Amino acid sequence: MRHFKTLIKKECIEEISSSRGAALYLAGCGVLSVFSLLLVSNTELSLLDNAQAVYMMSAIIIALALLIAVIRGSDGFAGERERETLELLLITPVSPAEVAIAKLMGLIFSWFVVFVLSIPYLWAVGSTGQNLIPALEYLFISGTLLVVIFGGFSLALSARMKTFKGALSIGLTAFLLSGSPILLGPSLRQSTVGRFIDLINPFANALNMLDSVVVDSLGVLFQIIPLAILIFYTIAAIWVLSMTTRRVEL
Amino acid sequence: MKVVEIKSLKKSFAGKKVLEGTSMTVYHGDIYGFLGPNGSGKTTTLRILLGNLYSDGGKIAVLGLSPDLDGEQLRQRVNILPESHGFYGWMRAEEYLRFFGQLYGLQLTSANWRMHLEQVGLDPADRRPIRTFSRGMKQRLGIARSLVNDPEILFLDEPTNGLDPKGRRKIHDLLLKLNREKEMTVVISTHILDDVERLCNRIAILHNSKIQYEGPLFAPAVGRSIRYRFHLADDKSIPSTWNFPGISCQEKNGPWVTCKIKDIHPDKALSLLVQKGIPITEAIQVNSGLESMYLNITAQGKE
Repeated sequence: MRHFKTLIKKECIEEISSSRGAALYLAGCGVLSVFSLLLVSNTELSLLDNAQAVYMMSAIIIALALLIAVIRGSDGFAGERERETLELLLITPVSPAEVAIAKLMGLIFSWFVVFVLSIPYLWAVGSTGQNLIPALEYLFISGTLLVVIFGGFSLALSARMKTFKGALSIGLTAFLLSGSPILLGPSLRQSTVGRFIDLINPFANALNMLDSVVVDSLGVLFQIIPLAILIFYTIAAIWVLSMTTRRVEL
Repeated sequence: MKVVEIKSLKKSFAGKKVLEGTSMTVYHGDIYGFLGPNGSGKTTTLRILLGNLYSDGGKIAVLGLSPDLDGEQLRQRVNILPESHGFYGWMRAEEYLRFFGQLYGLQLTSANWRMHLEQVGLDPADRRPIRTFSRGMKQRLGIARSLVNDPEILFLDEPTNGLDPKGRRKIHDLLLKLNREKEMTVVISTHILDDVERLCNRIAILHNSKIQYEGPLFAPAVGRSIRYRFHLADDKSIPSTWNFPGISCQEKNGPWVTCKIKDIHPDKALSLLVQKGIPITEAIQVNSGLESMYLNITAQGKE
């Protein structure tokens, strides 16, 4: 683990200095600008309860962070393999698992950048309400866990796939599948199947947690189950990543 | 002392046998030429030697370590210049060397990275990002990176790709110097036979998944001839026919005589001619016979 600092530093610099990273952040800011503008200026959306507006904005920020985590995670190994830089890392005394964990730290750093960038947008739509601070706290916690989950699985996939496109297509499909139950109507989500899908879906758990904190103003005790599920997935993602990258062949 | 020992190495990709009972030995201080046609398995062998690929069978020891079991320990002591190696284009040359130095647990000082850049002919004052470098400059930087941990064995996969003649000569001189002064063992996988003739003392030719020849570059046992041009101080002293064992005169042109040397080491042939009173003032090797041997071996069996 002695190479960690060097590898993490490289991943973080690459996140912000590469043209791909900058383009993703710029696109993210564009999306957040459009949505926050809609929430404060659109006639119907501006009538939303302040808490609802903060919740919607938080959900958009999480979705954006996950999208970036899936794209960057898929690029992690497969992209470096395509750019012929992976071999340079693997011919050093660094183990593939160390590279993987450093890349995961890079994704978390990327999420921190997105989180900091999103604060002004959240403030713009929710500064007059009471739940902005809890929203920020739970957004940070759930966002971090979700980035580790989706980023970790994407990286694991990337370590096994030969091409970035292949890893990305599977990663995006998984991302969309995890987001799709949210599109179910309220009645369907209340059904047994809907509840079960909600229970096992980390994305849905994070959104339910935010809903319960921001909209319903419920305390920390009500968040234990969704938080436990998110932590379970986080541990699973780190385990899968470490097992997948015990040996990465060129 | 054996520093690389491979016995009956096997490797297949999707059912296609790439290596099938490959065996080779590299000794300490060798500059070892690893030859073979495209797709013959040279890069695969090098990747297996560094523990970046699993073998399907056989015994491998590099510096007495197993690449599969002691990969990290082994990679600390060796280095490689892969054939196709990307670069972090946003880094500068010094950052690149410092980054890889840190991965080997080394903190390169300014003097260190300057020395590494200068010895491959790069300007340490060049502060441009690597993405703006030419192909040749990148190749030189790759060589500088491969020397960053002062490896005991240096594996080079097509090291002079993209280099101009001056650059090639500089790399040749650097490798010979490292081999002579630091006793660094060098394994060169290349198609450029001139590189091999100039640098290597031992070679192996990999073809049809097996080593077809392994041994000294100038091996009388192979039965191949080497052509030399001799310049004589007195062209009147050239006899009409030469009758020395293993040496036959082919053509005369003024003070120059072209001879074919066969079944005798060139150094011995030269000594013999001098002993016989031939006034040789200069000897130029025309070819080592490596090309014809390589073409003969690789023409056998499937391509």
